[in-house]
Amino acid sequence: MNRRIVVTGLGAVTPLGVDLPMSWKALLAGRDADAPLELFDTAGYRCHRAASAMLPPLPNVSGKKMSRLSRASRLAIPAARAALAQAGLLDTTGKSTCPLIPLSVSTTAGGMAFGETFLRNVLARNRAHLLSQVSRYLPHEQVLNLQQTIGFEGPSVILANACASGANAIGHAADLISVGDADYVLTGGFEALTELVFGGFDCLQATSVDRCRPFDLHRSGLLLGEAAAFLVLESEEHALGRGAKPICELTGYGHTTDFFHLTQPQPEGKALLEAMQRATTQARINPAQVGYINAHGTATPVNDGTEAQAYLSFLGESLGQTRISSTKAAIGHTLGAAGAIEALFAIQALMTRRLPPQINLQTPIPEIAHALVGAEETCSHLRHVMSVNLGFGGSNAALVFSTYEN
Amino acid sequence: MRPLFSPLMKIDLAVVGQGAVSPAGVGVVALRGVDPVPTEIAYVGQPDKTWPVLRVNLKNPAFVRWQKEPRLRRASPISFFMVEAAEQALANVSARDRADTGLIVSFCAGCLAYSRRFFEGIVSEGQRSASPALFPETVFNSPVSHVAGVLGLNGAAYALVGDETAWIAGLKTASVWLRQGRVKQVLVLGAEEFDPVALDAYRSAHWLSRQNPAHNFLPSEGAAGLLVRQSQAGDSLIIAKAQDGLVYHSKKEASVVAERLLRDSDPKIPFYPNAQRNWFRSLERKFGEGLIAIPGSDQRYLGEAFTASSAWRTLRALQRLTTMTPRIFVPVWGLNHQVGSLELEMRT
Repeated sequence: MNRRIVVTGLGAVTPLGVDLPMSWKALLAGRDADAPLELFDTAGYRCHRAASAMLPPLPNVSGKKMSRLSRASRLAIPAARAALAQAGLLDTTGKSTCPLIPLSVSTTAGGMAFGETFLRNVLARNRAHLLSQVSRYLPHEQVLNLQQTIGFEGPSVILANACASGANAIGHAADLISVGDADYVLTGGFEALTELVFGGFDCLQATSVDRCRPFDLHRSGLLLGEAAAFLVLESEEHALGRGAKPICELTGYGHTTDFFHLTQPQPEGKALLEAMQRATTQARINPAQVGYINAHGTATPVNDGTEAQAYLSFLGESLGQTRISSTKAAIGHTLGAAGAIEALFAIQALMTRRLPPQINLQTPIPEIAHALVGAEETCSHLRHVMSVNLGFGGSNAALVFSTYEN
Repeated sequence: MRPLFSPLMKIDLAVVGQGAVSPAGVGVVALRGVDPVPTEIAYVGQPDKTWPVLRVNLKNPAFVRWQKEPRLRRASPISFFMVEAAEQALANVSARDRADTGLIVSFCAGCLAYSRRFFEGIVSEGQRSASPALFPETVFNSPVSHVAGVLGLNGAAYALVGDETAWIAGLKTASVWLRQGRVKQVLVLGAEEFDPVALDAYRSAHWLSRQNPAHNFLPSEGAAGLLVRQSQAGDSLIIAKAQDGLVYHSKKEASVVAERLLRDSDPKIPFYPNAQRNWFRSLERKFGEGLIAIPGSDQRYLGEAFTASSAWRTLRALQRLTTMTPRIFVPVWGLNHQVGSLELEMRT
C-alpha cells in the first residue's frame, strides 16, 4: 500500500444478531442461525432452511419510507450507520457528518425480491404497482437508499463479483485510498435472502439438507444466509488528523481470476493460493505470520477440498499454527455480504484475541484437521489475520488485517 | 443549493484498442453506419401489444466462431456481445500481454434474459423445475468469467453494477489499477442484453410513448469496450478526466445536477450531446444552451442499452476528436441514480 490504511468503524447485521457485538458474542458461543426459512414458500425445493436475519429498527426513518425499502436496504442501512457511528462520522439523528464520503459496496442480488414480485405480476398480467417493484430491485437503488437515509452522496462503486464481492469491495476501497483518490471510504456488502437465489442454489444441489459442516469429510452443502456489514477505511493521516482511533490496519489485498470452470475452482486452488500470496506480499509478511484465517468454507464438496489444498500450499509447515475456521456454519453463506462480514469477524478476532470456532464438525478433513479452531480458543500473540473468499466465475480474494501500531 | 462534489478527476487513460457490438452491426465502424431497423417485440404481460426494439443480429458471422467455444455453450447473448467486442479491442495484443490484462465490465441489468427465464420457470412450472443449466448464467460475474476464460485475460476482473454511469466507474477503476501497477492494461466493457420483460418495465416507468416519435425510447442491446493503459508520450487518444457521483433522488434533483454538470463544464470545450431519446433530453437541451455542441451527435440512434450506450457514445465521441477539436466533454446521463461526465482528448 502506498499509504497506510486504517479501519475506524465497523457495523453489521447478521442472522446471529442485529449488531456486531451481539453477533460476535453468539459466534464465539458456537451458536448457529440455521432455521426453517419463512420468507417465502419452499415447499417444492430440496432444502427448506436458511439463516435469516432479524431486521433492526431504523430510528429517524418514517414508516412510509420504511415500507418502500427492500429487505436488502433494511439490512444495509443499520450496518452502515453503525460503522459510521463507531468512526465518529454519524450525528445524533443518524445522518452522516461526512456528506461526500465515497462508497464501495457489494451485493449479488440487490433487491431481487422486488424483481421477483414484478415478474410474477407481469406474468399474471397484473399491472398495478409495477414501477415501484421494478425500480427498487436494481442494486443502485439500495445505494440510493443508503445515501438518502444516511445523508451522503458522491462516487459509488457496486461490485458484483459473486461470493468474493465483499472482499473485492473492501479491497477496492483500500485501493482508492492507496492511490490518493479518496481519504476515507464507507465500504462493505449486503445481501438479503430471495427466492431466485435460493432456488438457484437448491437446483444446483449446492444447499445442504443436513447441517452445514465446513471442512468436514461428510459435508453435503451450504446454508444460505443474509447479512450486511460495513467498515470505514481511512488513510492513517486522515484518521489521526481528525482524532479518530484506528481499530486496526488493512495491510494486504490480493485478487485473482480462476478460469477452470464457471462454478468450480481449480482442484489445487492455485488462483486462491496466488490471491493469498499477493495479499501477504503487499502486507510485507510471510504466510506463517498470519495467525487466523476466516476461510470461505462453504461446506460444498468441491469448494472445501480445494480450499484445504490451497491452505496446505500457502502455509506449509506452519499450518496448525495458523488457525482456520469458516463462520458460514453459523451465519450461512451470505454471498455478496460474505466477504465483508467475514472480514469483520477476522478483525474481531484480531482485536479480542478470541477465535470463532469451527462448529458442526464431525469428521474434519484430515489435511487441515489440526488447524481448525476449537471451542473457546484464544490466541494471545495474534498480529495478522486474513479473510478469504471465492466466487462463481472464478473470483478469488484475500484481505490481510494487522494490529495498528503508531 | 446542493454542493457539487467530486470534480472532474484526472485519469489519463490512453485508448489502445476499441471494440463494439450494436444493433448497427459488429465493429466500431458500424457505430457510424446507417441506423439499425427496429423489430417489433411483444410485451410479456400483454402479448397482443408490441414495441420497437433494436436487437443485435446473432446470426452475424462474427458470432459463429464463439459458438464453438465450450465456455459459451450455455451462455446467454450478453456473453457473445462481450467476447466479440473484447476480441476486437484486443486484436493487437499478444497472448503474453493478455495474461497481464485486467478486465472490468459494467452492467445495469446484466444477464436479464436467463434471469427472467430461470425465475419464470419456477413461477410457471414449479420449484422442482428450476434449471441448473440456467442459474449460473444469471450471475453478473458469469459473462465476465467467460470473457476472461475465452480470451485468456489473467489479470484482475471486476463486475460493476449501476446505471449508465457505471461505465465511468469502470474507467476510474481501470485508472486505479494502472496507477497501482496491478496490471499492464485494462479492458473496460459496458454490456447489456434485451429481454421482452424489459418492455413491461420501461412502460411502467412511462419511458415508452408513441405520442412523440422524436422522443421514442427504443430499448437496445450490445456491448462496447476500450483497451486502456496509462498514457505515455506519443499516445493520441486519451480519456483525460472523469466525474461521477452527482446523485439525484427525484426528477427535480436530476434537473439540479444536470444543470450544474453542464454549467460547471469548461465552455471552451465542445460537448457531445448524449441524451438522444431518453428523459434527460429536455434537460440537456435546456442547460446545454450556450455550450458549443459537436454537430451530428443525434444523427445515429442505436437505442438505449444503459452501460453499453455509454460505451458506444464514448467510442463515437472519440471518433469526433480532430486536431481542430482536440478536446470533447461527454456528459453521461444515468437514468436512475446519478450523472457524470468524461473529458476526451486528442494529443499530437
